[in-house]
Amino acid sequence: MNNLEIPAETTPEFTSTSETSLLVVIVDSNPSQKMLRDNPHVLTHCVDSVIAFANSHLMQKAQNKLAVMACHSKTSEFIYPGPNKPLDVRQIDGQYEVFTAVEKTIKHNLAKLLANEKSTLVTESLLAGAIAMALCYIARIQRTKPPGCRLNSRILVVTGSGDSASQYMNYMNVFFTAQKQGIVIDVCALDQHLSLLQQGCDITGGLYLKVPQLQGLLQYLLWVFLPEPPIRQKLVLPPPVKVDYRAACFCHRELIDIGYVCSVCLSIFCKFSPICTTCHTVFKIPGPLAVKSKKKKIKL
Amino acid sequence: MADSENGSSSQNSLVVKPINLECKNLYDYLKTRSRSTLEKLYNHPTICLAVYRELPELARQYVIRILFVEQPVPQAVVASWGAQAFSKEHIYVSKVLSELSVWQEAAIPGGLLGWILSVTFKRNLKLALLGGGKPWSMSSALEVDSKARDVSFLDAYSLERWECVLHYMVGSQQQEGISADAVRILLHAGLMKRDEDDGSPVITRQGFQFLLLDRQAQVWHFLLQYLDTVEQRGLNLVECLTFLFQLSFSTLGKDYSTEGMSPGLLIFLQHLREFGLVYQRKRKVGRFYPTRLALNITSMQNSEGPVLEEDTPKGNIVVETNYRVYAYTDSNLQVALIGLFTELLYRFPNLVVGVITRDSIRQALKGGITADQIIGYLKQHAHTQMLQGEVKQPLPPTVVDQIKLWEIERNRLAYSEGVLYSQFLSQADFNILKEYAETNGYLIWCNKEKRTLIINKSAHDDVKKFWKRYSKGS
Repeated sequence: MNNLEIPAETTPEFTSTSETSLLVVIVDSNPSQKMLRDNPHVLTHCVDSVIAFANSHLMQKAQNKLAVMACHSKTSEFIYPGPNKPLDVRQIDGQYEVFTAVEKTIKHNLAKLLANEKSTLVTESLLAGAIAMALCYIARIQRTKPPGCRLNSRILVVTGSGDSASQYMNYMNVFFTAQKQGIVIDVCALDQHLSLLQQGCDITGGLYLKVPQLQGLLQYLLWVFLPEPPIRQKLVLPPPVKVDYRAACFCHRELIDIGYVCSVCLSIFCKFSPICTTCHTVFKIPGPLAVKSKKKKIKL
Repeated sequence: MADSENGSSSQNSLVVKPINLECKNLYDYLKTRSRSTLEKLYNHPTICLAVYRELPELARQYVIRILFVEQPVPQAVVASWGAQAFSKEHIYVSKVLSELSVWQEAAIPGGLLGWILSVTFKRNLKLALLGGGKPWSMSSALEVDSKARDVSFLDAYSLERWECVLHYMVGSQQQEGISADAVRILLHAGLMKRDEDDGSPVITRQGFQFLLLDRQAQVWHFLLQYLDTVEQRGLNLVECLTFLFQLSFSTLGKDYSTEGMSPGLLIFLQHLREFGLVYQRKRKVGRFYPTRLALNITSMQNSEGPVLEEDTPKGNIVVETNYRVYAYTDSNLQVALIGLFTELLYRFPNLVVGVITRDSIRQALKGGITADQIIGYLKQHAHTQMLQGEVKQPLPPTVVDQIKLWEIERNRLAYSEGVLYSQFLSQADFNILKEYAETNGYLIWCNKEKRTLIINKSAHDDVKKFWKRYSKGS
């Protein structure tokens, strides 16, 4: 009875997604990225592309929402919507004033963030932390939305940082949280291949793309990342490649194929250690006697 | 035997359905405009933006993919973007884009056909997205308004203005505040008609259907009707439409300047002011505030669920599984509307209670309201309490189904055109023809005693041929 259908003589209704969709873009602005050290102007190009992409997202539907974060070496901050009151923007040219406001706010806040950067110490970007912040932001919007309103959320990470396993645990935590919340994580790698983030895309059902040419960044973003997850099935997009599922060991943070796994807490080590550093379980040292020993487990 | 063809012409009048309110969206509206008008319209970034947002989802992706491409893209390439399983959708989308002349066919060297975005459309959509060009007409700089109005004031204002129009339609006593112009539009739109006796306007069937639409759809429908008459008033259609969309892309609670607007537009602005789409303190004040009514006027399909806005008006109707309807309202208009399809039981200062019955629904259906409109109305005004939790459907399914069943109940008769065969000379002749018709599925009805049968009209020639062959043979 519930599916009672009344024939309607309307034209085929293909526009199915009427829900609000929230996009959180995380831009890696860490000056220690290799491509930025080579040529600092690349950042301007990237930010311009990201702004145009973000505005295209807002252009899709009137009810679409946007947030942009800058991920730095020591901190991650929301640069749109900024922490302050929204700027009062008047139109200066033919651009839609909402888009102008987005552009102005992002550039203003990013400039402020970069100006505050003092230390010259080279550290890696805290991407896992930024994703965690984005997840919190989405959760808050979810919680405060009016009842009956449906929200599709996704996160897009745009980064030129290299792959590093030091945040392995944090990455895995955010990936599985996102998976549980039904939030898709997309990753756009600008410079190097990122195997850990690629795992995240695979886990959450997002897309991973290593941009072959930085020049055409905007076009890549628009082609691959603009379609929302529900519409992606209707388009032909880059097929998922084989994902490198290597884990990082807990002792040296290196990606390994084969290692030792603690039988109690499942921590992974690249070398045998008599005491598990995570749960302090004591193992017997595998001496010449230990022919039958099963302490050694092989992890693929 | 003589076959008498009858009934085919008189049946047409039976099949005719009552005229229902036709609600066009932007696409339907623009489709009927001429190509040169479209080209003129696309000269404005606002219109391009509005048209873009109205396109089907897939079309939006196609357009943005070729927005930065200067050469025509082969049609085969575009077709390969869509997944195989959705090729039907691809064809539909291509049709829409061509109809709106957003893209055109163009030959590519090599003899292939390609698509290229309309030059004007491409240029202006880029302007809207990336900037450049001239500012829109209403965004001249203004000094701070000493009597600035906040959002809640504007909401109250627009609500009051719009309700005024609706009140007038249902014939509530208050007749003031509505101009002859607005009445003329209502008459033109067929929402009201002149009474035969005394010439005063009374509401029509379409008018009732109009009342049940959601606010945005009402405004849009009303404006479309207004735009129909715009040229008779000596205003420029393109100019008005552009301004309307600029308004729809403005920010709530912000003031805009009337500087540089043509006299025609200023008249248009005064009309919009009358319907509550803009707020202006005084006619000469040189600034105006758009209200919620004017924002996103075209996005009427998206009224399925509340949008993610903090301060949208809340619904106030609760429907229970026992068919009772509770409406927390003191507006006479809303009470009158609910009274259209319920039996009102009690009325309190801030609450009306009614019950949906078979009779009350049938009464409404007879009045030309459809079940979908009733359900749509209840859904759209559903109380926040009804939307709590992750329910897909704010209304109790039993009530929804029952209303639909009550509607189907009225459509028990199915009409099909037929040809009557009668006066057979023998029972055998009759049997032969009946058998032939039955095995081929042409038979609609037959009566053995009277030797009459009715054959599907489209099969008439076939049966006639068969009969000739048969009677020759025998």
